[in-house]
Amino acid sequence: MKALSPVSEIRLPAITTATPLSIELMDASYHFRDLKHLLGAADISKAGERIAGLAAQDEVEREAARKLLSSLTLQQLYDMPLLDNRGKIDAIMQVNYDIDLTKFSDISALTLGELKNHLLASNGEEIRAVGQAMTGVMVSALAKLLDVHELILLAKRLKKSASAKARTRVGLSGTLSSRLQPNHPTDNLSGMTLLAYTGFSMGAGDALLGLNPAIDTVENISATLHHLDKIRRETGAPTQICVLSHIKTQLACLEQGAPVEIMFQSLAGTESTLTGEFDVTVELLDRAYNTMREQGPLIAEGAENMMYFETGQGSELTYNKHEGIDMATCEALCYGLARRYSPFMVNNVTGFIGPETHVDNFEMTYSCLQDHFMGKMMGLPMGMAPCFTLHSQITAEGQQMATELLTAAGANFFMDVYLGNDRMLAYFDTSGHDDQTMREIYDLEPAPEYLQWALSRGIFARDDDGQLQRGPNWGKPEQFCQSELDYQRLLESVPAAYGFDNAGPRPADEVTRTLRSNQAIAREAIYADLDRDLLAAIGPQRWLTTEATDKHEHLSNPELGSHLSAESLASLTAENSDVQIVISDGLSAEAVHHNIPQLIPVLQDGLASRDYNVGMTTIVPYGRVKLCEPVGEALNTRLIILLIGERPGGDAQASRSLSAYFAYQVTGEEQAEAAAFSGNPDIRWEYTVISNIYGGGLPPLEAGSVIAEKAMQILGFGAAGNRLEARLKQSAA
Amino acid sequence: MPDTQLPHADEDRQSPAHTPASAGSRLRLLGLDFGSTTSSMMVAEAEIGRHSLTGRMGLGEPRILHRSQPVFTPFRQQTLDETAISRLLDDWLQQAGWQPGSASPAAGAALITGLAARSDNARTLARLISERIGDSLIASADDPRLESWLAFMGSCATLSRAHPQHALINLDIGGGTTNPALGINGQISACGCFYIGARHLTFVPGSYRLSGLSATGQSLLHHLGIDKQPGDDLSPEEVAQVVRLMVEALESIASGDGNFFRQSDCHQQLVQVPFPAAAALDTPRLITFSGGVGELIYRHINGHGWPGTSYFGDLGVDLARAIVQSGVLSAALHIQPEHAGRATVMGLTLHSCDVSGSSLYLSHPQQLPLRDLPIISRLPADTGAGGWQQALALAAGCRQGACLSIEQSGQADHHSIRTLADNIRNAIRAVRLPPSQPLVLLMDTNLGKTLGQYITDWGKEPRALFVIDEIPLREARFVQIGRPHQHIVPVSFFGMN
Repeated sequence: MKALSPVSEIRLPAITTATPLSIELMDASYHFRDLKHLLGAADISKAGERIAGLAAQDEVEREAARKLLSSLTLQQLYDMPLLDNRGKIDAIMQVNYDIDLTKFSDISALTLGELKNHLLASNGEEIRAVGQAMTGVMVSALAKLLDVHELILLAKRLKKSASAKARTRVGLSGTLSSRLQPNHPTDNLSGMTLLAYTGFSMGAGDALLGLNPAIDTVENISATLHHLDKIRRETGAPTQICVLSHIKTQLACLEQGAPVEIMFQSLAGTESTLTGEFDVTVELLDRAYNTMREQGPLIAEGAENMMYFETGQGSELTYNKHEGIDMATCEALCYGLARRYSPFMVNNVTGFIGPETHVDNFEMTYSCLQDHFMGKMMGLPMGMAPCFTLHSQITAEGQQMATELLTAAGANFFMDVYLGNDRMLAYFDTSGHDDQTMREIYDLEPAPEYLQWALSRGIFARDDDGQLQRGPNWGKPEQFCQSELDYQRLLESVPAAYGFDNAGPRPADEVTRTLRSNQAIAREAIYADLDRDLLAAIGPQRWLTTEATDKHEHLSNPELGSHLSAESLASLTAENSDVQIVISDGLSAEAVHHNIPQLIPVLQDGLASRDYNVGMTTIVPYGRVKLCEPVGEALNTRLIILLIGERPGGDAQASRSLSAYFAYQVTGEEQAEAAAFSGNPDIRWEYTVISNIYGGGLPPLEAGSVIAEKAMQILGFGAAGNRLEARLKQSAA
Repeated sequence: MPDTQLPHADEDRQSPAHTPASAGSRLRLLGLDFGSTTSSMMVAEAEIGRHSLTGRMGLGEPRILHRSQPVFTPFRQQTLDETAISRLLDDWLQQAGWQPGSASPAAGAALITGLAARSDNARTLARLISERIGDSLIASADDPRLESWLAFMGSCATLSRAHPQHALINLDIGGGTTNPALGINGQISACGCFYIGARHLTFVPGSYRLSGLSATGQSLLHHLGIDKQPGDDLSPEEVAQVVRLMVEALESIASGDGNFFRQSDCHQQLVQVPFPAAAALDTPRLITFSGGVGELIYRHINGHGWPGTSYFGDLGVDLARAIVQSGVLSAALHIQPEHAGRATVMGLTLHSCDVSGSSLYLSHPQQLPLRDLPIISRLPADTGAGGWQQALALAAGCRQGACLSIEQSGQADHHSIRTLADNIRNAIRAVRLPPSQPLVLLMDTNLGKTLGQYITDWGKEPRALFVIDEIPLREARFVQIGRPHQHIVPVSFFGMN
């Protein structure tokens, strides 16, 4: 691994005031306030850009923006760094300027359009060299001039020499690798073992055996790393392991001797997001890199790359810390940061956040192709995770089409989430079946070190023509178990597995049918509307509305559901109640339908037993958790109990899961105490939550008394959230 | 029949499934098995958590921390050697690294059988254990159905779930008794106990010279017309006669043939707890073995040679050989249970304790643990007022507290839970149950807190009431409720006679 150059030595352009940009197209003039707006308008229209006000108004404006962008020289782009809201070049932008200045001098006079033409006529080596002379902003601008074929074509040319080496070499031409993600909702070791065995049996996991933990403590991460290491050693699978916790946690684990073979961190394209939300700085990344360079367990095995980053368009936007920069450019800035550390893997996760960034198949697929190209252009070993949540309009079919296109483009690796259904993160990704199917369609093989092992285990075999085929042990996880009983024990630990039978490289149809019907039921829970007739049975009630006027708005823009409509707000006056029950569908009306009729009578009985002044039960369709505050302020209520549907994952039963949010309004002395406790001088509300209310979790009849008891504690102690827990501990002691 | 000289192939093997996570809440588990012949101990650790498939609270990811070799139970004539037992317990606990003051809570059980269960011996053992472990263990003496249940759970629970279409009959064959249990898909439906075991006749090792005879042994020889006393040599044919009768008895147990045990007084005397359940089975059955004889059988099946004549100074080897020859008993020997030789102590350690749900009604948590509570009655949730009054009247007679089990067969709703609470509250009032007298209600569904709140009018009627939910209701006479730990309580049943 190379030594890092000091950030302070990176040459930066002078800061100038933002220049308006304009162009004539036919009879119309198009004006863009600055380069940020031009970049936003030049992209296809995506949900995130629409919310941020950066998307073009129409196709003509978009083409005008592209034409204008095409006419700018690279030097002009160099001279217009995108400044943060303080008017500064932030740390990430600064790192992006760490480019090959010699090569840049060769291309700086080219317009972006001329550069595009040059690249389309060039081989991979030249394209790669040009990429090293470009900042993230330049690469993003270039991507906006490329159509789908061009995004795929250029990325494909970059596949050669895009490999990276840890224990295995991933990304060679003719290969397709995968990261095996054996996530489990409770970090259950048996569960992750079975999922790892299953993935290995399908030839997956040659890029990484990497787990997203449910519990991010040094103790748990360390134990999980040791467990993954044990699985790797016992199976003999040549791969590397990683637990995707915070970089600080991993450094602590490494210090304690845990096998941190690959150091992971999520990146963001603005410093305000990276530092303010992810608690990461460039200095910390430098420290982690240098630590791995000196102490990484894989150094002895000849590893050349030991960092792993995850990115994906939209995270800066969802935190509202995008500094006015569009999603694709923020993403390219991430790559400019990642490039500094010569990573082993960069995994692009697009579609994970939800419809507020990518609402449908087209937006998700296009962003994936852009990101894959941009990452490869900047010299990164890009893997892709085209994925979706059920509250977007992205479908399994759309995700599969994206996967096909990304394979054609030469993605280094995909994810292997068993049956695509992540049991911990409640989203849908590619599976080991998908990875194998892509290999068979596109004649691709796993990483060479891994392939030798898989051939020796009968997972793969060569036919008479030397072609790679699935072997007799493909898809048989039990081959790694010591006994039938060990396998049985493992089977008993994995939810939503639906079966392990296969049909060629695909799951057996009965497995797929169960998976898809569960998905369909869960998705239906989101798109159902609250049933007034059913809810009438719970007694006196008033209905209010939020600023979201329909389901589509509600799902696409979470902010709208956090506010009452003007009409509803005007209808409320202070009632000075102790408790106000609010019911909203949130992301699952079915959760309300299946739980509220049994839960409410018990809750009401419990509250009545303490003679609280309880407001009339209030129902607000299309609501979000933050709705508690405007309702509570308008009614002047001490405690809001919001009963709201949770975001469904892939399990049909769990799609009926409800949460109870307690929002406690702190005033007077309580406010002072809460401010001191939280460190937030302006704190007005404290929150406590009880989740997982449904027949298979906390049943609604029992939840009624659990919620009533928690309300009594909150009102009794005058505190919620962590301050309440501290008071309860104090009281118990 | 001691197996101290047999190497255990699975001694320290741990599948990845058994590797613990450092995170989560853990319970230390201790199992102590004191029998007429041998005693053993095991210490494990398991995580308390909600099962990701069933949604129930339970113990997962068990990890065996230590298991002792079986040792001869130290007796002086018929009485336990207190000094030797004390030393044994201290050694075991030290080897297991057992820290009495450890932050993680403990649960477990001691099973005392045979001669060790004689009342004076059982009292001594209970005292010695309590002095070292505290009050978190239950000690159960002479509880043959519990022993059968534990042996099944310790050796066949996972196997049974791996073959859900079959009824699995496990025969736990030790020195004095054979303890059969029948389970389908991990759920045990019947237990029994028979005086069939390897040590009813003991020999000078390496020969058939009798060194001892139990009452059952005498009865068997008498029935077979074999007139031999300690010091005499049995002929191989005479040994075969004894073993044949025992194997016929085992075949009858496995097939549910009760008539076999009605043939003679000798046959009748073999029965301690009948086991007719196997007769009515309409699903295919698999027969497995545990205990010392089970261990010998599977060692042989796995390619080890038979030990020499009366290698352990008893009938164990002969009995194991005859079982392997039996068409009825050997049909499924390729399907092997786990921990055959240590099934009981494994069951004691890992399965003698259930974990409650996490939303309970505990009016006075500081009163826990509640030990040796009699389970007065098991009633359906829709039982009428009279039924509750009868049950509560019995409970009122138990000054130290009592327990009722509530079966919730249908779907509960607001009306039904209030009716149930009203019935129980009215019955409590009618029988004048003193408010400070502990009443424990066990439920298998997750409704404990709501039921408790309604019974006490949301805590306004002070009462020592403990509603423990998500507990599988077992056919047992006693229960122990442990101290609360992170919103759950451990629950142990005993007295399955």
